[in-house]
Amino acid sequence: MILGLDVGGTHTDAVIIDENGIVAETKTLTGDDLLETLRLSIKDTVSDIDTNLIQRLVFSTTMATNAIVQDRLEETGMIVSAGPGMDPDWFSVGPSFHVVEGCLDHQGLEAMPLNKNTVLRASDIIRNKGINVIGVAGKFSVRNPEHEKQIADWIGNSFNHIALGHHMSGALNFPRRIATTYLNAALFSIHRKFSESLISILDEQGLNAPRYLLKPDGGTAGLGLIRSFPAQTAQSGPAASVMGALALDGCHGTTLVLDVGGTTTDISAVLDGVPLLDPTGIKLGPYLTLVRSLNTYSIAIGGDSEVKIENNDLKIGPLRKGMPVAFGGTAPTPTDAMITLGILDAGNRDYAVKSMERLGGPAGWDGVKTAENIMDRMSGIIADAAKTFINDINSRPVYTIHEVIEDQKIEPSSVVVIGGPAPQIAPFIGKALGLPHRVPPSFGVVNAVGAAVARVTSEIILQADTERGTVMIPEAGIHEKIDQNFDMDSAIDMGRKALKTSAAEIGAGTDAIEISITEKQVFNMIRGYSRTGRNIRLKMCITPGIIPEWKRKA
Amino acid sequence: MEKKGVNIMKAERRTGLVFFPAFDWAISPTHPEREERLLYTQDQVLEEGLLDIDGIVEYKIRPADFDDIRRIHFCVPDEGAVTTESHMISAGGCLVAADAVLSGEVDSAFALVRPPGHHAMRVVHGNRGFCNINIEAIMIEYLREKYGIRRIAIVDTDCHHGDGTQDIYWHDPDTLYISIHQDGRTLYPGSGFPNEAGGPNALGATVNIPLPPQTGEKGFLYVMNELVMPLLNKFQPEIVINSAGQDNHFNDPITDMNFSARGYATLNAILKPDIAVLEGGYAVENALPYVNVGIIMAMAGIDTSTVKEPNYDRDYKPQPSYITQEIEKLVDEMKHMFLEDKISKPEYSQGQIIERIKDIYYDTDGIRERQRESIRYCKDCAGALSIESASSLGQHIFGVRIPYGACTACMETALSWFENASHGSFNNIYLQDRVKGTYERK
Repeated sequence: MILGLDVGGTHTDAVIIDENGIVAETKTLTGDDLLETLRLSIKDTVSDIDTNLIQRLVFSTTMATNAIVQDRLEETGMIVSAGPGMDPDWFSVGPSFHVVEGCLDHQGLEAMPLNKNTVLRASDIIRNKGINVIGVAGKFSVRNPEHEKQIADWIGNSFNHIALGHHMSGALNFPRRIATTYLNAALFSIHRKFSESLISILDEQGLNAPRYLLKPDGGTAGLGLIRSFPAQTAQSGPAASVMGALALDGCHGTTLVLDVGGTTTDISAVLDGVPLLDPTGIKLGPYLTLVRSLNTYSIAIGGDSEVKIENNDLKIGPLRKGMPVAFGGTAPTPTDAMITLGILDAGNRDYAVKSMERLGGPAGWDGVKTAENIMDRMSGIIADAAKTFINDINSRPVYTIHEVIEDQKIEPSSVVVIGGPAPQIAPFIGKALGLPHRVPPSFGVVNAVGAAVARVTSEIILQADTERGTVMIPEAGIHEKIDQNFDMDSAIDMGRKALKTSAAEIGAGTDAIEISITEKQVFNMIRGYSRTGRNIRLKMCITPGIIPEWKRKA
Repeated sequence: MEKKGVNIMKAERRTGLVFFPAFDWAISPTHPEREERLLYTQDQVLEEGLLDIDGIVEYKIRPADFDDIRRIHFCVPDEGAVTTESHMISAGGCLVAADAVLSGEVDSAFALVRPPGHHAMRVVHGNRGFCNINIEAIMIEYLREKYGIRRIAIVDTDCHHGDGTQDIYWHDPDTLYISIHQDGRTLYPGSGFPNEAGGPNALGATVNIPLPPQTGEKGFLYVMNELVMPLLNKFQPEIVINSAGQDNHFNDPITDMNFSARGYATLNAILKPDIAVLEGGYAVENALPYVNVGIIMAMAGIDTSTVKEPNYDRDYKPQPSYITQEIEKLVDEMKHMFLEDKISKPEYSQGQIIERIKDIYYDTDGIRERQRESIRYCKDCAGALSIESASSLGQHIFGVRIPYGACTACMETALSWFENASHGSFNNIYLQDRVKGTYERK
């Protein structure tokens, strides 16, 4: 059996699943104290379960997100080396941000040596402010990590934790590298404390199976193993929903996944069983980062959104004014519309109908007409947003003639709707999009199921330059010498090993790991009408997917 | 999607970027116009985080089609024979940039595309100077066709004289072509002198500014401020285009100029082009990454004072004072010619047909071409134009052009040329009717 848990804004959902499906499911109100919420939810969920039979525990929590958006990050010093280009001070983060002398160029060659004095001065200032964690990020450190390592070496052991930029991701983007390094450093202690508390709660409940956290890319990582990269566990909620839709529906063909909640609707897409990833990285609070995530798009509309009439026109959301009228609230909502239409049996129907009549009266609509108009408008807004989402994906630039000629576009063949009001809203959305719609069983706890069954994911980015004679895989800490014979096959071999190792480090099992190559390019390096080397670019990943145990059952 | 965050800059001017490195195309396996050319530029642009800037919008490219080419070129034997998909896409990138600006989505746009186009002339038998079709000219005729724009200025800052663009706009008084380049006595293609000032109907609308080898930041910016900007001010174009070649750079291996990334950025900030189009520049590691970052930042209105090549302090040499004097003298003479309208002008009578013979060499493809060009001298329009062209490949064609805004007399003249041309002497006979917007072959 597996325990899956997803902390949402309103409810924390948890399930126990086994080969026959869902064994137990609970909904707990999410309180201000996250650990207390987790404790209550876990306790409630396993109350009738033999905990010895639980072999895996997966949590999608809001720990990191909350710390970021509530500004509860630990004070963190930053040491940055940049050189010419965009002024690094534009990307200043944290209370003690220092730019030191020294820089690399885009090949990773040293353009200016590091100035030890400026590094030591910066670290002294940071230490003297009583700051205990530090982040180090260099421009082009993913082409050559030596400057960052040298800075860490000079700083020595006087900080509790040092986060190095090139470990965050092999992707190029210095401003995002700075922010990602900063967040991982600033969340380090908070995450450690959270992990310890969560572990003691689990111990209390006799839950000793391997423990994982869900990441926004729809993959998991071992609770104790992700310690240096806590930002990778932020904002995992939308990924939980997508993975749940994938587990419960299968998402064959090109599937739009719509998670309609109380106040927001998340839109995402799954292509033949593989969720679509964001090409750059997630935004956490106010920071653009290099943290890998699924491509999701949120709009502020849901079952509990306030409905108003402004200028003879229906307006739904973006705010929520308490409960739906049927549950004693004051502002009419789409939920009241569903109750009025008789497609949802909940709360006080009279209240709901009256709220519709009051709302639509001035426009000359009766209660049912008002409710129909609300459902049409809401599904229209969601359908338009989904179209925009797909259009944005199809408008992404491509960089080869092959891709321009092929002009591949995704075109959804069906829509899966999940979340509280899924069965009621799905037919309307399907109609608005002109697509067949499906609502998976257990649509209300899809997210918890998604967390439970998600496999470990990982990614590596390799760059090799045989003219310079170096290969680098920043995520795996690889920076080695190579000879002129190093080619794409050598790169794929090396990448595969590195990916397996890095996946194992965050808790991947020994099962056959499915590896995908997502980018693969070799360039002849031409200098003065002759070939002097090869420049190899390779990106490999374990794509988000479902653990084999669940797949076998499905 | 959303591009706002504490680590995100906001652009002062909304800037469109059409980036197309054609990572799977080269002229030949070891040719400088190669797959790798924009690889390091992409690395630098990504690492600087330019695509995250709020206000910088990256556009997806689309190929141009043959109709876009037919507004400008006489392709021999036809469009398909002298282009590949890469040329159509590169030209299409310029059209995407034009649409982005003209639709008002962005204030300006940069087509960072390859292969280049400014050596491609009106008649195309093959590849010259790495160019097959003239991507700026294709864009300009598209701007006219789709948006009704008439007055356009091109400022070509490639180190090589843009002889193709000059050829195409030689007779067009509505297109001001200004080329700033290394003196043709010292560099390919060997043309581009101040006395090349445009055809009889468009005298003064072609301006060549040949600069001596070793011209540095100071010289280029002096020319911009003292000559180019006053010329633009006088011409009053609706759209300004920068043919942004990047081989004036001090790290460029095949030219002798002494310009820098910051210099290019400053030039761009002075010029404020509506659309910039990449042309040449083959210092793929040491110049292009920095020049392109500088141009993008300048277009977006971001401070470029921190943009610098890693070897700038070591290798950049300020312009010698004798070069400064030489440039000041040239600018004085050219001001006199072009700003005070003192270009010597032969006397022609209305309706007179003026002929010239041109020999053209296609260095990349080794083709020789001889042209006989006839233009009708006209005070009312750009004049009826015909070109008879024979190539060393045995092609012999006749092309007739009715210019945008042609007068009735020029239209009639051009039509009679087309009608009277016979297949006995030519493989192909073309008619570009820019008034009707039609293209015929017989």
